[in-house]
Amino acid sequence: MKIVGILVAFLGFVISLASVALGSNGARLGVIVLGIVVSLFGILGILNAAHLKYAIWKTGAGTE
Amino acid sequence: MNAGVVRLGPLTPGLLRFGLLLGGLLCASSCCFAQAPAVPPAAASSAATVTPSAPASKPITDADLANVPVPSADAKAKGDRDGSLTGNAGDVTVSDAKKGLTVGDLVNQVGQNKIALNIVWTLITGYLVMFMQLGFALLETGLARAKNANHTMMMNLVVYGVGMFAYWLCGFAIQMGGVGAVANLGGTAPLSAEFVVNLFGKPFGLFGQHGFFLMHKGTYDVGVMVLFLFQMVFMDTGATIPTGAAMERWKFSSFVVTSFLFAAFTYPLFANWAWGGGWLANLGANFGMGKGYVDFAGSGVVHAVGGLSALAIAMILGPRIGKFTRDGRPQAILAHDMVIVITGCLILAFGWFGFNPGSTLGASGSGNLRIGSIAVNTMLASAAGLLAAMIYMWLVYGKPDVSMTGNGFLAGLVAITAPCAFVNPISAVVIGMIAGVLVCLSVAFVERNLQIDDPVGAISVHGACGIWGVISVGLFADGTSNYAGAWNGVNGSVTGLFYGDATQLVAQLLGVATLLGVVFVLSFLFGTLVDAIMGQRAPARSELEGLDLPEMGSLAYPEFELKSGN
Repeated sequence: MKIVGILVAFLGFVISLASVALGSNGARLGVIVLGIVVSLFGILGILNAAHLKYAIWKTGAGTE
Repeated sequence: MNAGVVRLGPLTPGLLRFGLLLGGLLCASSCCFAQAPAVPPAAASSAATVTPSAPASKPITDADLANVPVPSADAKAKGDRDGSLTGNAGDVTVSDAKKGLTVGDLVNQVGQNKIALNIVWTLITGYLVMFMQLGFALLETGLARAKNANHTMMMNLVVYGVGMFAYWLCGFAIQMGGVGAVANLGGTAPLSAEFVVNLFGKPFGLFGQHGFFLMHKGTYDVGVMVLFLFQMVFMDTGATIPTGAAMERWKFSSFVVTSFLFAAFTYPLFANWAWGGGWLANLGANFGMGKGYVDFAGSGVVHAVGGLSALAIAMILGPRIGKFTRDGRPQAILAHDMVIVITGCLILAFGWFGFNPGSTLGASGSGNLRIGSIAVNTMLASAAGLLAAMIYMWLVYGKPDVSMTGNGFLAGLVAITAPCAFVNPISAVVIGMIAGVLVCLSVAFVERNLQIDDPVGAISVHGACGIWGVISVGLFADGTSNYAGAWNGVNGSVTGLFYGDATQLVAQLLGVATLLGVVFVLSFLFGTLVDAIMGQRAPARSELEGLDLPEMGSLAYPEFELKSGN
């Protein structure tokens, strides 16, 4: 899932970059915001969840 | 005598105008430090217009300069107690001793004075930024537990050396190798090769190619050296940010390698795109997006890059042992010295007067007198951030939390770093205030919702508020700045949505998308690579014991340790 998270984060950038091909600045704004949301989902939603799955406090080492 | 002076040689009406212009220049330079307001440009130009009824002004010639009185050697030998004899026509460098002082010499001296002023300004502000390393070191170490104090201080010391070495090897060349001549520094022309690809029918600059080892392709140059020093301390500020988020569990050897990669590649790439003539800077010229991506002193380039790298490392490392209970509730791990934490905050705020005003790369010409406005915006935003965070914590949690007030102070500074040169004082206060509340919300979100352990709040202070600073340019830039009439090759002043230009906001948001989708991804990939090869996290036993002895071989406070038994 970490690889998926990274790919989704990068995909968000690609979506945002593609906005430069559009003529209208309103459309560009919408596409870039969409790209940012996709990147945030990749980082905070997928990638972080993948890391939390094996978090140290879940494995029993979380208490001193 | 250089080419510029030769063009001024003949006695023509042009020389008459030149003489008047020169007089105006000298007059203006003498007024720089006076309290009385300077003559407005319009009034100055009207005064310079020769009317038919006015007596014709006499042009300055080399013969006039030969008659300028110079204090005698005897007079100077008696000492100059009131300063009236020191600094006169005799101090102007003469190109040909046989001819004596000429108009050409005078003009050269004026030009060199301007560049010298800019170079001294840039160097001194760079030294202030370097001093911020101490602020970071104290802030982070104070927030660590005593058993990790040596390790945390050592990371803040070593990141300076490792970062500088990597940046000297290749980071600077990647970042600034294609920036071209920086007019304020009178040179840097050797930095002229940018690697470019074509996308969407337009050139996309990706990285610079001149300046490796500061010797490559003529970059052994006085202007380049100044630019290197200033940019290096900026990069090192960014490289220091992850050490706060990763402290108390980061294996020292892995920290060294990760910091090297940051300074050599991650930071320079984004900095090239924003500041080195890369594709983000040219969004305005190529795609009509405002003045391109605008980030005056680095809310995005320095702070968001550092903050997102901190996020990547904190994810890879995982939380400190004891930070979360088995059901995922965060536990407070207390700082060992709040006195040095606040000392660190104040040192950082002092250094920020180098960070923001210094980013003009000059004090003379090209609208650079706006440095006063930049400095005031910087301090206003920091005060607004401090107050907003303090009041928020007081209202929500019942006490004006010390560390969060300090974080609000820094959050205001981080947020104003990108827009400081383009906004008015009221906007600076609003930007700082929003940052002060944002950092409180973000710290709670990162800890409670994301369950990421960030001991100093670096992800929120530098990452979240850095991104807010980038966006705020697209909202609050008021269109009154005039840095030589253009920015990023687009004529006019940087203007945000609230002042009539929505396209600037689009460029800023594309910068944010790049930070998230490229800078974070690159940081995560480098961090994961190092983790796979040598492991990023210190062994659990070392962590429980405290990293000072297992990793550094010595304790920061041996007597304190003995007494407390920690």
